[in-house]
Amino acid sequence: MAESAQATQKRQWGMVIDLDKCIGCQACVVACQSENNIPVNEEAHFNQRRAIQWIHIQRYWEGEWPHVKARFIPVLCQHCDNAPCEPVCPVYATYHNTEGLNVQVYNRCVGTRFCANNCPYVVRFFNFWEPAYPNSLKNQLNPDVTVRSRGIMEKCTFCVQRISRVRRQAKNDGTPIADGDRALNPACVNACPTDTLVFGDLEDPNSRVSKLRDKELVEGGRGYHLYEHLGTSPNVIYLKKVDKHAVEEPAHA
Amino acid sequence: MQEHIDLDQKQVNETLLKDVVGTPRWWLPAVGFLGMVFLAGVGAFGYLLNKGVGVWGQNRPVFWAFDMTNFVFWIGISHAGIMISAILRLTQAEWRRPVTRAAEVLTVFSLTAALMAAPLTHTGRPWRSWLWIFPYDFERGVWPNVRSAFVWDPSAVMTYLTASTLFVIIALLPDLAVIRDRTTGMRQKIYGFLCLGWRGTPRQWKLQAVAGILLSALVLPVFVSVHSIVSWDFAVQIGVEGWHSTIFAPYFIIGAIHSGVSAVATVMVLMVWLFKWDKVLRPDHFDAIGRLLIIVATVWFFAFFLEWVFALYTLEKPELVLRELQVFKMPYMPLFLTFLVTAFFFPVPLWLFKNVRRSLFWMFVTTISVNIGMWLERFLIIVPGIIRRQPTEFNWGSYHPSIIEILILTATFAWVAMGMLVFAKVFPLVPLFDIKEGMVGRHVIKIGRKIVPASIRE
Amino acid sequence: MHSNGHSAHEGQAALATAAAVQQNLQQRHEKSGNMFRLAVLFSAGLLVLGVIGFILRIADGVSDTAMWGYYAAAFAFVLSTAVAAPMVAIAPRIAKAHWRRPISRIAELFGIVGIFNLLLFIPLIWVLPPLDNGRRTLWFFDMVGEPVPNYSPHIWATLAILALAAVGVMLLWVSALPDFAALRDRTTGRKQKMYAWLARGWYGTTQQWHMQKHRLGILGAFYFMMFIFVHFLITVDFLMALVPGWIDALYPVTHAASALQAGAASVIIVMVILRQWGGYKEYIGLDQFWGLGKLLFALSLLWIWFWFSSFNIFWFGRKPNEISVLELFIKGPYLPLFYAVFVLSFAFPLFFMIWNPIRKSIWGPTVLAVGVLIGIFLDRIRMYVAGYSVADQSPLHAMDHVPVANKPDIADIFILFGAIGGSILIYLLASRLIPIVSIWEQKELLLYKLHKPFHRTHVRVMGKPD
Repeated sequence: MAESAQATQKRQWGMVIDLDKCIGCQACVVACQSENNIPVNEEAHFNQRRAIQWIHIQRYWEGEWPHVKARFIPVLCQHCDNAPCEPVCPVYATYHNTEGLNVQVYNRCVGTRFCANNCPYVVRFFNFWEPAYPNSLKNQLNPDVTVRSRGIMEKCTFCVQRISRVRRQAKNDGTPIADGDRALNPACVNACPTDTLVFGDLEDPNSRVSKLRDKELVEGGRGYHLYEHLGTSPNVIYLKKVDKHAVEEPAHA
Repeated sequence: MQEHIDLDQKQVNETLLKDVVGTPRWWLPAVGFLGMVFLAGVGAFGYLLNKGVGVWGQNRPVFWAFDMTNFVFWIGISHAGIMISAILRLTQAEWRRPVTRAAEVLTVFSLTAALMAAPLTHTGRPWRSWLWIFPYDFERGVWPNVRSAFVWDPSAVMTYLTASTLFVIIALLPDLAVIRDRTTGMRQKIYGFLCLGWRGTPRQWKLQAVAGILLSALVLPVFVSVHSIVSWDFAVQIGVEGWHSTIFAPYFIIGAIHSGVSAVATVMVLMVWLFKWDKVLRPDHFDAIGRLLIIVATVWFFAFFLEWVFALYTLEKPELVLRELQVFKMPYMPLFLTFLVTAFFFPVPLWLFKNVRRSLFWMFVTTISVNIGMWLERFLIIVPGIIRRQPTEFNWGSYHPSIIEILILTATFAWVAMGMLVFAKVFPLVPLFDIKEGMVGRHVIKIGRKIVPASIRE
Repeated sequence: MHSNGHSAHEGQAALATAAAVQQNLQQRHEKSGNMFRLAVLFSAGLLVLGVIGFILRIADGVSDTAMWGYYAAAFAFVLSTAVAAPMVAIAPRIAKAHWRRPISRIAELFGIVGIFNLLLFIPLIWVLPPLDNGRRTLWFFDMVGEPVPNYSPHIWATLAILALAAVGVMLLWVSALPDFAALRDRTTGRKQKMYAWLARGWYGTTQQWHMQKHRLGILGAFYFMMFIFVHFLITVDFLMALVPGWIDALYPVTHAASALQAGAASVIIVMVILRQWGGYKEYIGLDQFWGLGKLLFALSLLWIWFWFSSFNIFWFGRKPNEISVLELFIKGPYLPLFYAVFVLSFAFPLFFMIWNPIRKSIWGPTVLAVGVLIGIFLDRIRMYVAGYSVADQSPLHAMDHVPVANKPDIADIFILFGAIGGSILIYLLASRLIPIVSIWEQKELLLYKLHKPFHRTHVRVMGKPD
């Protein structure tokens, strides 16, 4: 009984990012790099502006010295329901799967970079070079994640390998997938020390993400989407920072 | 004004075939030099294949730069042929006759140059591009995504290439027969094979004329669709604000005609300078193409104006930031000024003077200037647009081309020039039969003391 | 070029000499039948209905923009047909196409309807809300730091339409100068005085002819520029700005292209009337229908290409503001109208005009032209009524909701009839004053036409002056 329900259950993976809690520590970035076999970003990569960071922390300065405040916003693939990157790929290398994920099929990609141009959030990354890892890291590569060769696009997958593993496990055991399971959560969510990032199933009314969404977005709270006017309907929901002593309106949001 | 020099048919043959039958002295060195430049580009491409797109100057978010600029530029040039051949043929403009073939051949070679620029060298894994250009991916059961403008693109360009090649071949048949009759041995055999048994019977002439007119009419929608689709590579996206504009398709088309017709004028000047065909290409022809260019340039400028007005009309921040970057920020400010001057404000006022339109030198300078400007136009649409200085974009960088990109750019120019020269050596670059047909139809009417040129109409 | 003193040759059938053409055309000009009088009465009746409709409408005031949608559509229809028609004379004249000679006056006469168009425009100045609610405008509200004067769109559009009407009348006048002079020399009494005044001292000197040709060229080019400019102003400030979230850089051009299409269609309809019932069979022949048929065909394709270029961007862009625009104009309440426009103005012209036998016939282009006119009429209703119905929504962003279709009431229907009737009435009256087939262009044709034997056949040789 539980098994069949498990199989047919509709899922919509999503994330809530509470900016009020983000301290800009970049733990999520490092966790992501190691989980997903992202080549080490050396200084040269940043100078070439070709660094690959599936999740990155945007930092803004607010106010005039000495009353300067740092603002952080983690940006990752928004897994839009209406993703602009999907229709432009000539070879279906990027498409929407049944669980609401915007997935990238590395094998199909020929590297037209069309999707990267059409992503308003600029969260798609191109492998300009063959990936290189220092010798000390070579045995540390995650066997569940493809090492991407040069010439193809990549981006945040919501750690789809972890989702698959848990789904498989749950199917074998006949148990439901638990919300907030650390084995299910993407690496960035597990690494976050302040519980800024919350991951879960937006279709499940009891999950933390859908409760947060109902409270903050549907009923009107701090929730918002990035670039709502583009109509991409992302699955990542941001919660505004609350600052009683705010100097001025943030740059956007 | 009676400017045409009346040649008899024999003289036409002699003038136009002398370089096909013989070889001018400068020909081999010129082709050799261009071949070397082209080979340098091939070498650069090999390096690119070996190392990856990293050898280019592209970065995130400037994912497209020289590659797409060259692609759009060469597709633009390719619009010359059909503009001259099809539209002027359908409107029965007499001055088209000596120019048609050069324009069509330019179309074919620039289309191949465009294909070199975009699908061939542009993708991250060029050895897999054919999976989407020629959709034979049966093994994996994945067909190309027809919603992608990049799938519309190859089909339109390939259709266009096929149609314009047919155009060239059909117009070549009678001339090939003329060469067949004037050569001996192996060459005669080859030309005899190529002319597909042309004997000049009335039925053959009729079929050839009908095919030409039918192709002209059928190729026009293709012509319009090609650059519309190229513009939709950019405009259907919402990721880049500066590209998402409805005017793009007409804007690109008229821009393509602007650069294409200018390129044809450049080629015409070169034809006179290199092959001494001044008895066939008269100042009249330059005058006519100059007048056409004034109209085309003005319409293009109007489209440019509309694009700008509506970019500012939205008053949306990203759009305003982009426009500011395009016009006022380094290094785009000098490029933008150069573009405006070279594409419009230098050539068009000059073309208003009859003396300029009839001067080979000035037509050469102005039309080269237009194409410099039009290349910059595409560059300025693509690169500053794509930089999109947005809040979620942590790389607010710029873009500099690497030597590899520049070598590939020069290689495309060398390829087209070399192609034209080789073609001119092997086939007559001016259609003999068209010139003769014009001579037969040419007439004058005397009105008082005035002599008015006239032609026979059906 | 011509002197008018030749003794007239007898016989109308062989219109081989200038004098014969002159006499023949003049006779036809002076003759007016019962049908003409009936047409005048009928169109005058329509105009009266229109005035009644306008009074009914204005009784409710101008504050509710949505109510004036049909009025705006009526104005736009006149702008798109009558005011576009002179381009049919200008373009082939610049291209020196001989087939335009008998019909260039038919087209130019529409220029005088520009005055009526100006009158129709005036109430719209009051209907258009002022800029103070933050509505977008061409005149860059808030762009330079301080707001633009509140009534910029109203003022500039009025000036532009005034200029367009003036250029149209000037074009007609300059083109008719030689004909006025000819009529002056062949009439007596008050009529002669009037034509003498209109002819502005035309004696047909070489200099005058050069000057006239020169002016026709300049005025034609200027008319085209003003035409585009007016369409630009009207579509942006009087339509696009009223629809929240609608940003379409191509729409002015689309509008102008469909207007040219309707202009060509109007000329075809006048042509067929003159040919079948007006007794101009010798002048308006297959050549003219063929030429205009090709033009109509080309313009139909041009229009649909412009339309599709816009549509494609919105369809694939899928931004909320773009989807709401598509829902208003194409998917929503005006969908049946859109289908009708698509079929009448594009599908029919494409699928029928593509066959040369249909292009080269009298009734093929005529029937399709009627279809195109109806299509453009529906298109203007679709765009303007829909656009005006959302004018009260908050500006700048996407539409809040797509309203239901705005159905016409009796006043709207009267207004639509009145606008059409008024245009026809003015055209009819003007055609009494000015020969509807240009006499001088017809005589000039004789000079450039030559028949000559060529091998075993006879061919026609046409001169093309520089």
